[in-house]
Amino acid sequence: MGTSVQVTPLSGVYGENPLCYLVAIDGFNLLMDCGWNDLFDPSLLQPLSRVAKSIDAVLISHPDILHLGALPYARKHFGLSAPVYATEPVYRLGLLTMYDHYLSRRQISDFDMFTLDDIDVAFQNVIRLKYSQNYHLSENGEGIVIAPHVAGHLLGGTIWKITKDGEDVVYAVDFNHRKERHLNGTVLESFVRPAVLITDAYNALNNQVYKRQRDQEFIDAILRVLRADGTVLLPVDTAGRVLELILILEQYWAQQHLSFPIFFLTNVASSTVEYVKSFLEWMSDSIAKSFEHTRDNAFLLKYVTLIINKSDLENYAGVPKVVLTSMASLEVGFSHDIFVELATDAKNIVLFTERGQFGTLARMLQVDPPPKAVKVTMSKRVPLVGDELKAYEEEQEKIKKEEAVKKASIVKVEEVRATSSHLSESTKGDSMVIDPASATASPKASSHFRGQMDILIDGFTPPSTSVAPMFPFFENTAEWDDFGEVINPDDYVIQEEDSNHMVGNGKSLDVKPDEASVHLLLDSTPSKVVSHELTVQVKCALLYMDFEGRSDGRSVKSIISHVAPLKLVLVHGSAEATEHLKMHCAKHVCPHVYAPQIEETIDVTSDLCAYKVQLSEKLMSNVLFRKMVENEISWMDSVAEKTNEKVFTLLPPPSAPPTHKSVLVGDLKLADFKQYLSTKGVQVEFAGGALKCGEHITVRKISDSSQKGGTGPQQIVIEGPLCEDYYKIRGHLYSQFYLL
Amino acid sequence: MASVVTGAQNKRPNPNSTSAAATREGDQLIITPLGAGNEVGRSCVYMSYKGKTVLFDCGIHPAYSGVAALPYFDEIDPSTIDVLLITHFHLDHAASLPYFLEKTNFRGRVFMTHSTKAIYRLLLSDYVKVSKVSVEDMLYDENDIVRSMDKIEVIDFHQTLEVNGIRFWCYTAGHVLGAAMFMVDIAGVRVLYTGDYSREEDRHLRAAEVPQFTPDICIIESTYGVQLHQPRPVREKRFTDVIHSTISQGGRVLIPAFALGRAQELLLILDEYWENHPELHNIPIYYASPLAKRCMAVYQTYINAMNDRIRTQFANSNPFDFKHISPLKSIENFDDVGPSVVMASPSGLQSGLSRQLFDKWCADKKNACVIPGYVVEGTLAKTIINEPKEVTLMNGLVAPLNMQVHYISFSAHADCAQTCGFLKELMPPHIVLVHGEANEMGRLKQKLVSQFADSNTKLYTPKNCQSVTMHFSSEKMAKVIGKLAEKVPETGESVSGLLVKKGFTYQIMAPDDLRVFSQLSTANVTQRITVPYTGAFEVIKYRLKQIYESVESPPVEETEVPTLIVHERVTIRHESDTYVVMQWSADPISDMVSDSVVAMILNIGREGPKVTPIEEKTQEEMERMARKVVHSLMVSLFGDTKFGEDGRLVITVDADVARLDIKSGEVECENQGLRERIKTAFGRMQGAIRPIPKP
Repeated sequence: MGTSVQVTPLSGVYGENPLCYLVAIDGFNLLMDCGWNDLFDPSLLQPLSRVAKSIDAVLISHPDILHLGALPYARKHFGLSAPVYATEPVYRLGLLTMYDHYLSRRQISDFDMFTLDDIDVAFQNVIRLKYSQNYHLSENGEGIVIAPHVAGHLLGGTIWKITKDGEDVVYAVDFNHRKERHLNGTVLESFVRPAVLITDAYNALNNQVYKRQRDQEFIDAILRVLRADGTVLLPVDTAGRVLELILILEQYWAQQHLSFPIFFLTNVASSTVEYVKSFLEWMSDSIAKSFEHTRDNAFLLKYVTLIINKSDLENYAGVPKVVLTSMASLEVGFSHDIFVELATDAKNIVLFTERGQFGTLARMLQVDPPPKAVKVTMSKRVPLVGDELKAYEEEQEKIKKEEAVKKASIVKVEEVRATSSHLSESTKGDSMVIDPASATASPKASSHFRGQMDILIDGFTPPSTSVAPMFPFFENTAEWDDFGEVINPDDYVIQEEDSNHMVGNGKSLDVKPDEASVHLLLDSTPSKVVSHELTVQVKCALLYMDFEGRSDGRSVKSIISHVAPLKLVLVHGSAEATEHLKMHCAKHVCPHVYAPQIEETIDVTSDLCAYKVQLSEKLMSNVLFRKMVENEISWMDSVAEKTNEKVFTLLPPPSAPPTHKSVLVGDLKLADFKQYLSTKGVQVEFAGGALKCGEHITVRKISDSSQKGGTGPQQIVIEGPLCEDYYKIRGHLYSQFYLL
Repeated sequence: MASVVTGAQNKRPNPNSTSAAATREGDQLIITPLGAGNEVGRSCVYMSYKGKTVLFDCGIHPAYSGVAALPYFDEIDPSTIDVLLITHFHLDHAASLPYFLEKTNFRGRVFMTHSTKAIYRLLLSDYVKVSKVSVEDMLYDENDIVRSMDKIEVIDFHQTLEVNGIRFWCYTAGHVLGAAMFMVDIAGVRVLYTGDYSREEDRHLRAAEVPQFTPDICIIESTYGVQLHQPRPVREKRFTDVIHSTISQGGRVLIPAFALGRAQELLLILDEYWENHPELHNIPIYYASPLAKRCMAVYQTYINAMNDRIRTQFANSNPFDFKHISPLKSIENFDDVGPSVVMASPSGLQSGLSRQLFDKWCADKKNACVIPGYVVEGTLAKTIINEPKEVTLMNGLVAPLNMQVHYISFSAHADCAQTCGFLKELMPPHIVLVHGEANEMGRLKQKLVSQFADSNTKLYTPKNCQSVTMHFSSEKMAKVIGKLAEKVPETGESVSGLLVKKGFTYQIMAPDDLRVFSQLSTANVTQRITVPYTGAFEVIKYRLKQIYESVESPPVEETEVPTLIVHERVTIRHESDTYVVMQWSADPISDMVSDSVVAMILNIGREGPKVTPIEEKTQEEMERMARKVVHSLMVSLFGDTKFGEDGRLVITVDADVARLDIKSGEVECENQGLRERIKTAFGRMQGAIRPIPKP
């Protein structure tokens, strides 16, 4: 039997909830994506919390909240400790996205789902891979090979191919087959006949207009508003689709020499673009090519101004401008505030480039007809003053005191340990320094010493062997041998002096949040969040244009039928879209289509049988291959011989084998065949779906619709009266096939 | 994948060998250095195995010019090469590429890393501009370089690609930005080509990785032979000390360095040193290379190909934005008034700015010249390392050499310790040394021979155009899948099906599964033919029964019209009074049956029923007939064939004698090959003599 494969959705089926699926391959649990939504609703993660500890590896496909948002939370609260695999841009841009979300949340609420440190910790054990890198998993995952491939959609976006024993499981969500300005199209189509394909039905019901037309409409809509002195608000994600939009705007501004200012405002805008500039090898061929030829980095932005502070916009209050800002959902972040400011003026436009997540303000505004007014909560972080400040300070003081006491006890415990260990070893007791790393002693140990805490003076502890308190004392016992005092050669080795400044401080934050955010982080002045609700009259224009960069329904169908998986699992998409795609695929692609519910485990183990054999030299010397496209093919008769436990050797048969039913191999296209016949001087024409050759002979292909994309052989009928032509055409027909 | 026979041959590879020859010599792996064999420069190594051909690197020899600098391309047929892999952008590894792509009949694919490609373009344009050779000696021009850019494909580190069944991927080599070591996998035999590599992490580059898999063959550089590098901090300290003391004595420092690669590392060192020594801030550092300036954008972009240290710095500011170093366009713009540090190319002091400055400064003993890397034999830089009393200037005059000359190697090539350590970790069964002068290489070989004395490792040091041949017994594994695999066979049971080969993987499957597991499909061709016939249907049946063993007529109720089925293959239906319809599914035997049926039906129409009694031949007669036929066929195939005394056929081919038992089909022969042949031939004859088998 083949490799066992089970798929269990944890979130994101029959709906647009974040993506999170458990794929177990021969008992090895892979978590495909670990998404959350912009509202950070913990109830969505319930299913994940139940299995988080048993997960062996996490594979992330895209750098946005829906694909990786829950990583820090799951790591902190659910004990998800498995290594995470992602491409370099997914890692980097994902990190920036998380920072941006955290900082936006933090500005308006006492957000405590996770902290910046949690984000860093969660991203610390991301193993970064390159496209088409075959990464061999070890330990429990022995034999499993994972490889990220180009998905399109977002920079670094990945479709994962997981291979075990020659069987492929392909996880492809949110792919885009179209080539864009900054991204290549997906390579999904190059995978043929994987055992399992897991894909989304998100866009199954959507169809897109032509890219050029859509781009033009987009620019027109923006310019119309700008020329009427309005402001264009583009709510975008932190580091995903916004890159494509920036390039469109840059390109158009350069062509038309426009001078309207464009701003890209997120908490991490400048770092984002700085990193994106170094990801050229992940982008489209044309970007790479232009860099190789002219060394012009496409993301060396000439028209877009990067800002990280909303106050920078104030100078441009009355000026027509384009503002790209996060979050796309309008729930939090700069986009939220700017929307409230712009909404009341009919000159302005809010241009959505992606569908808002379910239950967010953006989604509310995208309904048709748009609401006249919406209720929003305005929140602000203000410094504490007066009594509040005093109360806060007192509280802090108290906490500090408690901590100090606690710490003292811990330090003491440490010292006791250190001392006793020094005494017991008493060989190289030359250090009074307590390793700071071990300063986090277990609380158990501290409680054990609590009793003595009060009578001991800080820093003075009795060694376990002494009866009364004493200073730490370490006897330096030198060892002697025949040549004198034994020296330790290590003491005389010249240390690599720069070793510590060469390899940067491992723990340091390797992404620098922008200054404003640093300011916000370091800002330790006590503050609180005040909020008030208000109703905003929506007078500005609202427009939605599809710049999501996902393949549309028709392309998705044709790609799936081209890939022709043996089994298909559908996830992520509205119930309607999922059902639609399921019906379609069951009819046209393969009979095994599954669309599981949350926490419903489906078994997609292939019923494929396989075993390995060794082909003996003698056998192969008698085999004559025929070349067909990429393959070489031959009929083979052999006899098996067991060489050891598992492997058979195939030897040539001892006696002439019985003749086998002959096989015609080849793919006949009637149109091609027509062409071929006419070059041979036969009169041919299509008549009623059949090919009429010469006067009397017809060649037909019988294809019942259920066979389409199916696996049966083609049925071809050649018909006619007995005549010379018949044999001639039959000869031509045979020439289209290989007879084995 | 055990190797059986090995041995260096002094024979040229035969690239023109036909495909038949290729299959015959299929298991022979040939490695031929076309350049860099017992020399440094024009790296180019040819490799061929199982009819697949890979070329590693395509460089020029910096000490020669024109066609003489090229590797020995005439030894091979460029059109047979499938893949060309370039390890890094240095001239001795990449500079003959435009020539090879544009001026030969090479049709394969070329790969290099992203940063290599970006710098390659700039570097070669510069090379074309500065190389002062006559037009007819020019190997290629700017246009050739631009055209070559379109043909070059990129590969990222660790990315696995497959071309024509050749799988390959690359590892970080640590030599310069974008330098790669290529691992090539052809039919399970892995070859690692290190190119230039360094196992020491420096300021901006990662150390060379040790591949996860042991290669079967390792083609490795041997530039530094058995020399050992000083530890990097020591070298850096010497470097900065020399510069600092020279400057404080009011001297000038010349650093002749190749514009790209090590120069960036030295600039990083200098920039950092200046940063830490404010007293030096008024001393200018110049790097006199417009090329390096142009390439800076590449260095600033491909940060991800560098080490963690740079990437950490990158989070704060781009480390390649130097604060204390300014570019220098030409000697005319250079205001030589006081102490300064100038880094200029070329590294060998052959000509150009570094030579101009050298000529100007060499007489003053306050000045210093620091040679920071490997110097090629035959250049001035190599000469002055030995500190001669006098040197010849460019204008032909002889001047005293008073300036101090320091040789502090920052060259990112592996030294002996690194090479030994690297090979020890990999333990490849075959090691081929290239890219090293004959002496150094010889010493390294001795050292490695003693290191690997107890293992089975074989070492080769081929000269240019000298082939190394190895044999790998290929163990072909196939996977039986689908319906055919539902039951695992026991010993002696037969396995028959379609053998599909794609690249170097084999699959065996039932014909029905072909469409499931490959992009191929099978077809059934149904033939339907109308034959005019006006007679009685019964007559056909009668005549058919005389010829065929199995003629069945299912009841009319089932088939509507009278029907005959011959051998379960051909169906004949009496659809009208004027014709019959025959239908069958195409396959050689059915076609034959149907042809005979057609002939028969036509004959009935012509001459009416004629009954000929069938002579029942006895079994014995049949047997005799068969013997006769087999005998005559064997004579036509093998020549000397006689009936032996025991009734067996004795076949003599040259010195080999085979005995064939016609009844059982057993063959006795000492020559395995002949036995197999006779067996196969006999099997086919049996198929022809025996009656039509039941389907």
